[in-house]
Amino acid sequence: MRKVIVGNHAVSWGVKLARAEVIPAYPITPQTQIVEQLSEMCASGELDARFIKVESEHSAMAAAVGASATGARAFTATSSQGLALMHEMLHWASAARHPIVMADVNRALGPGWNIWTDQTDSLAQRDTGWVQLYCETNQEVLDTTIMAFRLAEQLDLPVMLVLDAFYLSHTSEPVDIPDQELVDGFLPKRQARYKLDVNEPHAFGALVRPDDYMEMRWQLHDSLRSVVDAYAGIEREWAQLTGRSYGAIEPYRCEDAELVLVTTGTITSTARHVIDERRERGEKLGLLKIKMFRPFPGELLREALNGIPRIAVIDRNLSAGHGGIFAEELRSALYLGDVAERPDLRGYIVGLGGRNVTPETINDIIDNALSTEPVQRPDIWVGVKA
Amino acid sequence: MSQIIIKDRIPDNELLVGGHLACPGCGGALAMRLVLKELGPNTIVVLPACCWSIIAGPYPQSSLKVPLYHTAFETGAAVASGVRAALDMAGQKDTNVLVWAGDGGTFDIGLQALSGAAERRENFIYCCYDNEAYMNTGIQRSSATPWGAWTTTTPTQQPQATQKKDILAIMAAHRVSYAATASVSYPVDLIDKVRRAKEGHGTRFLHILAPCPPGWKFEDERSIDMGRLAVQSRVFPLLEVEDGERWRFSMEPERIPVEQYIRAQGRYRHLTDEQVASISASVEHRYNSLKELEQRSTASIS
Amino acid sequence: MSESFNAIPRHTPPISVSSTSTEVNRTGSWKYIQPAYHDRVAPCSAGCPTGVDIQGYMTLLREKRTAAAAELLLQENPMPAISGRVCNHPCESSCNRCEFDGSVAIHGVERMLGDRILEGRLPGSCRIRHAEHVAIVGSGPAGLACAYHLVRMGYHVEIYEQEQLPGGMLRIGIPEYRLPRAVLDRQIEFYQAMGIVFHTGCRAGEDVSWEHLATHYAAVFIASGAHVSRLLSLEGDQAGRLLLSGLDFLHRVNSGERPDLGRRVLVIGGGNTAMDCARTALRLGSEVTVVYRRTREEMPAIAEEIEDARREGVNFRFLLAPESIATLDSGLRLSCRKLKLGELDAQGRRRPLPTAEPPLELEAETVITAIGEDSELHMITADLDDVRRAVNTWSCERFARIFLGGDVAGDERTVASALGAGKRAAIGIDRHLRSHNGEHFPDELLEEMSIGRTGALSMARWMHSDPVRRVSPLNDVVRPEEINTASFAHEERHEDHHAEFSLSFAESNTGLSEAEALAEAMRCFQCGVCNECELCQIFCGENAITHDSVNGRFVIDLDHCKGCGVCTAECPRGAILMERLAGQD
Repeated sequence: MRKVIVGNHAVSWGVKLARAEVIPAYPITPQTQIVEQLSEMCASGELDARFIKVESEHSAMAAAVGASATGARAFTATSSQGLALMHEMLHWASAARHPIVMADVNRALGPGWNIWTDQTDSLAQRDTGWVQLYCETNQEVLDTTIMAFRLAEQLDLPVMLVLDAFYLSHTSEPVDIPDQELVDGFLPKRQARYKLDVNEPHAFGALVRPDDYMEMRWQLHDSLRSVVDAYAGIEREWAQLTGRSYGAIEPYRCEDAELVLVTTGTITSTARHVIDERRERGEKLGLLKIKMFRPFPGELLREALNGIPRIAVIDRNLSAGHGGIFAEELRSALYLGDVAERPDLRGYIVGLGGRNVTPETINDIIDNALSTEPVQRPDIWVGVKA
Repeated sequence: MSQIIIKDRIPDNELLVGGHLACPGCGGALAMRLVLKELGPNTIVVLPACCWSIIAGPYPQSSLKVPLYHTAFETGAAVASGVRAALDMAGQKDTNVLVWAGDGGTFDIGLQALSGAAERRENFIYCCYDNEAYMNTGIQRSSATPWGAWTTTTPTQQPQATQKKDILAIMAAHRVSYAATASVSYPVDLIDKVRRAKEGHGTRFLHILAPCPPGWKFEDERSIDMGRLAVQSRVFPLLEVEDGERWRFSMEPERIPVEQYIRAQGRYRHLTDEQVASISASVEHRYNSLKELEQRSTASIS
Repeated sequence: MSESFNAIPRHTPPISVSSTSTEVNRTGSWKYIQPAYHDRVAPCSAGCPTGVDIQGYMTLLREKRTAAAAELLLQENPMPAISGRVCNHPCESSCNRCEFDGSVAIHGVERMLGDRILEGRLPGSCRIRHAEHVAIVGSGPAGLACAYHLVRMGYHVEIYEQEQLPGGMLRIGIPEYRLPRAVLDRQIEFYQAMGIVFHTGCRAGEDVSWEHLATHYAAVFIASGAHVSRLLSLEGDQAGRLLLSGLDFLHRVNSGERPDLGRRVLVIGGGNTAMDCARTALRLGSEVTVVYRRTREEMPAIAEEIEDARREGVNFRFLLAPESIATLDSGLRLSCRKLKLGELDAQGRRRPLPTAEPPLELEAETVITAIGEDSELHMITADLDDVRRAVNTWSCERFARIFLGGDVAGDERTVASALGAGKRAAIGIDRHLRSHNGEHFPDELLEEMSIGRTGALSMARWMHSDPVRRVSPLNDVVRPEEINTASFAHEERHEDHHAEFSLSFAESNTGLSEAEALAEAMRCFQCGVCNECELCQIFCGENAITHDSVNGRFVIDLDHCKGCGVCTAECPRGAILMERLAGQD
């Protein structure tokens, strides 16, 4: 079935097809449409799930934790302040190994109030032990939602599905919606490895002394590191069923490139358009989209960027006092490899708080990146009014 | 019959095992044991941070024979909402979900989640075992700490300056189907209330006073006595509220002076006789208001 | 590179999940004191001069084991139907329930059980198990008790009684309206059936010689009572001829005489004999006034007797000391000095002191004196104090064969103490005779046999025949503060019933009904003896107490008991004690 739907509804459809069982949620712009539609689906009986209209995002994640701990497939969605409020429970979900799937519609954090897109909210949660997958299109959103549950339950890890506010969340695109049967085959009912079970009573989460804590965190870390391969396998399977796959990273026209732009989310589409144009003009430019931020696919990136002399990372986010987060993560990933010659990697900060990132912005970045003048600072702010 | 024999009214279930890490004479440990006796093995306990986070034992131990989920301080009612939803989805509708929270996790940091769950009529039993301060962290005041009490953050030069929050009234204002106060010193009354809670539906709230020998500064063996004095002095009346409007005293033992309760505890040692008299007056005032509520409830029923 | 770098954890689960219980923690090691269950002594038994296991028979009664209750009572008390009527019941003033809502009406329960026993069949003759014969002089409560216990032990016992009928003071001193003769006679019948031989109308030293008693019997118990009224010497009276002796008066009336005392009778004295005289005189149709030198509070008579006398119409004049008596045409005039109360005396009673006020004159046709009785000691050849000490301490090498007890020994002049003295003598005699047969009884045994270490001797302990199961018995008395009254409901004490008011010699106090007696047994706190109420277990926050219902006891899991003491504090009856652990200060 093909439908023209907004990105938010692509999430809802994905959740419905994944047969989520418990959905605790709290409204926040621009995520609200996701849970609105899910509550309608629950109300109409299309989706057999418990929708819990919690009183806060913290409780949304707490309830998801409770449901997941009891063996249910749990989903929630949020943005910005809501995600920040959940922070404590994000750690709880991952360290307790609850395969919760959550959609975060990227939105800038206040103050001042700002409802527009900005990745800082999700990236600020990078150390919480969640898998983070950034999407570019509504189709990718739907497919990733379904795959996220597979991935989460395969490794007992929570997965955050991230999409840009408005550019994706509120933008309609045609989306191929797979049959329920297909999804059921791909994603069977959850079989929890551990759960609250009166027939097999255990205590979960009790005090762990220093002599065991590290071993548990090691395992969390190890599972997260295995996500790259596991996700590849899941995508292969999904591709066999639907013909669609995305990759943890997606290099585009990078062969022989003198400069590769690194992007995430919807900026990728804009950049792809610019790269195509300038390639036609004979410029040796490439593009690399990063979908998976956690775990950070360092090895894939080192391989993909090996030999590329110039790299321009476009960040619609900010680690204040440090710089763009993808740029910093990539820089550190490349440092680890045996890259023969260190590339000229420049980080560009754009579009914070939803400011438009146009083809002109991308062109300016490319021009700057191709210039040979030395970089004065690791973060280059684009379009800041003087 | 002269001695009131209660053993036949206490269920046999023993779901608390020895070796737990409560202090000697802990009212909270006994409260759990008694509550689980009535709820039985088909119960899942959600445990936000509180003394019981320690009492339940460190990894890889558990002092309960029922499933237990340790969770963050403010999340008891929210996690329980999720547990309930998952159980319902799995068709386990007869499994009890019990939130077991201290006064900090109920009166203070967990109040929002509790309020939300209560308003949503989440189907679980919420027990607050109230030892009237943050005891696990070393006796800091909470909004359940009574006026005049010493804690490490309300030193005797500046003891607790406000009245204990009326959590029962707060829960009644949510019109939960059943809310009650109970005491470990009156086990039959407590068990009866757990049973009524168990038989009910929606959010059911029990506020259990749990005397704390190290926090209140009294001898370990007087734990039960202290709970009894609290009830007898009407400092902690035993109440039930149905649907937020039908109030009743479940039992009213013969009254004793408030001094007898206050003066038995080191945390009140600094109080002057006048201050104790003012506590007594406020206890009397609240008692009279509660009596009025009870009478109004009775009048509206008949 | 160290092997500890990048090792793969293979033995820790990925999350904090339990795989064992806290029972592995020996939290019992936190404690420095620990609880232990003991069966201890109830204050009623310790306070009972007869040494009755009151708590024990109350418990059996509660369990509806009436026959067993009666048997336990009979083990220590030979005449519950009588003591239930006439005893001053110090057990009740010792009762830990006093402060709560009034003591258990122990005498009423005792009387009910005693009456049931006497209503039953006569007992069979006791089997003789010993060759020795024992003589007893006097068939009052002390002599009867000694005989009873000895017969039950298997001795042949003969009682010598100077009166025509056995009973001693029970018969001649206690008026019929308090102790119906039918009850006394039936009780004597029981003793006869058990094998006690009575030689009545046979006065020791006259009708039977002391030499005979000393040579024909292996042991002699002298319990000849105190039958000599003390004399009051008043100005104007020649050798007490104007005064009637209270004891003589009672003896005459109790033998069936009905003397005419005139319209007005004065009774001088404040003890039980004075009350008996006053109430008896009332029944003979006189107006009676009791004259006592202190106030009602100091009167040594049983409170109920005073109250009954007052209720029946006896007048009381307090703080008066008779000084002279004169004969008038209309009768006698007693002149009394007015007194006031001063400091406490050695017995803790306020001493009466004379005042300068003019004397008070009282007129009457008859004046009865009841100011005490003395024993006839001339029959005793040995030094009295030595004999008495012999009985009390077992150190009786000098006077091994002669024992002394009851009023004659100067014991407290109550039926209860006489019954205790008789039992003590029986045990002393048994010990003495068995010692001669090679058995050894160390002196420490005396304390062990004494209820609460200082009370009456326990026949159950002496005979090792306690029918009540004891858990680690401790011979100490439960103090009132050890009772946790929280689990008791107030319940009014049942008082004796009285027949419609009439001044006759028929018994007016009809006691308690069986149901009321049972209700009183239910009121018993059962001090010091576990009744498996399970409060200790219910209140244990450690779940460290389990009830072994087969053996009816509790087992403490000392590996997990932290020694908080809640069980001890909550035990309603002081049956759990906290004990310091070895090696702890």
